[in-house]
Amino acid sequence: MSGGKLNNRRKMSQALSRVANASVVETLKNQKELPKETLYRIGITGAPGSGKSTIISNLVSKRVDNGSRAAVLAIDPSSPLTKGSILGDRIRMDSVSNDPNVFIRSIPSRRSHDGLADNTADLLWEMEGYEFDEVILETVGVGQAEYSVRALVDTVILVLLPESGDAVQAMKSGILEMADIYVINKSDLPGAELIAAEINEIVSRNTYSSNEWKPCVLSTSNHSVESFNALDEAIDEHREWIKKSIDKEHERRSRVRYQVQSLINRRAEELLELMSLKEFDGRPKEVYEKLIKKLLIK
Amino acid sequence: MSLEGKRILIAKPGLDGHDVGAKVIALALRDAGADVIYTGLRKSPDYIARVAVDEDVDAVGLSMLSGSHNEIVSETLLHLKELDASDIKIFVGGTIPRDDHAGLREAGVSGIYTSDMAIADVLKEIELELRNA
Ligand SMILES: Nc1nc2c(ncn2[C@@H]2O[C@H](COP(=O)(O)OP(=O)(O)OP(=O)(O)O)[C@@H](O)[C@H]2O)c(=O)[nH]1
Ligand SMILES: [Mg+2]
Repeated sequence: MSGGKLNNRRKMSQALSRVANASVVETLKNQKELPKETLYRIGITGAPGSGKSTIISNLVSKRVDNGSRAAVLAIDPSSPLTKGSILGDRIRMDSVSNDPNVFIRSIPSRRSHDGLADNTADLLWEMEGYEFDEVILETVGVGQAEYSVRALVDTVILVLLPESGDAVQAMKSGILEMADIYVINKSDLPGAELIAAEINEIVSRNTYSSNEWKPCVLSTSNHSVESFNALDEAIDEHREWIKKSIDKEHERRSRVRYQVQSLINRRAEELLELMSLKEFDGRPKEVYEKLIKKLLIK
Repeated sequence: MSLEGKRILIAKPGLDGHDVGAKVIALALRDAGADVIYTGLRKSPDYIARVAVDEDVDAVGLSMLSGSHNEIVSETLLHLKELDASDIKIFVGGTIPRDDHAGLREAGVSGIYTSDMAIADVLKEIELELRNA
């Protein structure tokens, strides 16, 4: 890689930090014009330690094989107490982090509680314009209730483990219908086939019309590089399907809706922390109205 | 005092395979509020500089026990300079003989923390150094 490109890289990297550190007010003030077309985005979510980062590493090495460029944004949780974090995703992506066509940025979740980080929507937008071919977003390891990533990416991959029996229960009751691709990772461990069969069974029970995407269920293991081929292909298939089938306007609106919601959540939380306990005198309605006034940005 | 909002890369250059010290300092920095990234073992100065740029860290802590600290430090500084990133601070920790301290400082190292120092003192110094950044 030439020095010139790397200088550019430093600028991009610093721009990302500015976006990541922006307050709600700054975010709204500095918002760029939303691009008409956005980069293809893959979101990878799943329980803590399920293997999200390891999968991304294996996947990325395949996806940049042909000379394309990938950016990875990997979120890890911030301590609510000290605000600090150990951003440990990168170390699992060791084998690709030397590739000049791969850019990895580790991001602390900060105030977000939804598996993403403060300003994730803007961080994704910031990745436009640097000649990447796609962006991969790793969420914080979350339970089954956090699907915010759905709103921001094109393809959602949910990572499950051979022992994810509770996830299967959740799927049966319909809560867990958010992924485009289900991956049973660590399939070298016992129980993988069983859970893959169960999930397949649940997916097949639904009927999909010809213009709907039928989620795929795959098994991967970092003991078998080949196991990621099917995942790589499934992603491409979903990408093709999206090109034909997704209503771009609908997608844009969903992304804006998510962003507005996360900005309000953060701002409200900040304001509530700043208010002294005395300000909570009075009925909830009055305090609520006071807070709404404070939320307005002049 | 706090390191809240500061990004720090803890890097393990050189050939020694002991990263207990690196991990202890990583956790202590996190507890002081920093966002900490760890490179893993045996990384080259070139690699460390590139990760520092991609992660846009405020400082890199080089944890070294192997004795080749002078070369590693000067190479890391050189690579950072090439990447237009000389403003990223370099701290050095581990077994660094007294005699080498002045030279390392002169080369551009912002802090040297030997294994006999109390963690609390190390944190205090790093906080001071990064506050003026
Ligand atoms: N046996 C086995 N272990 C795996 C596999 N994939 C990942 N692991 C291990 O699982 C652990 C967690 O992997 P990560 O990739 O860090 O998981 P993660 O989901 O990114 O974790 P968080 O980001 O902390 O939520 C590591 O020790 C990996 O080596 C696999 O296919 N088989
Ligand atoms: Mg991870």
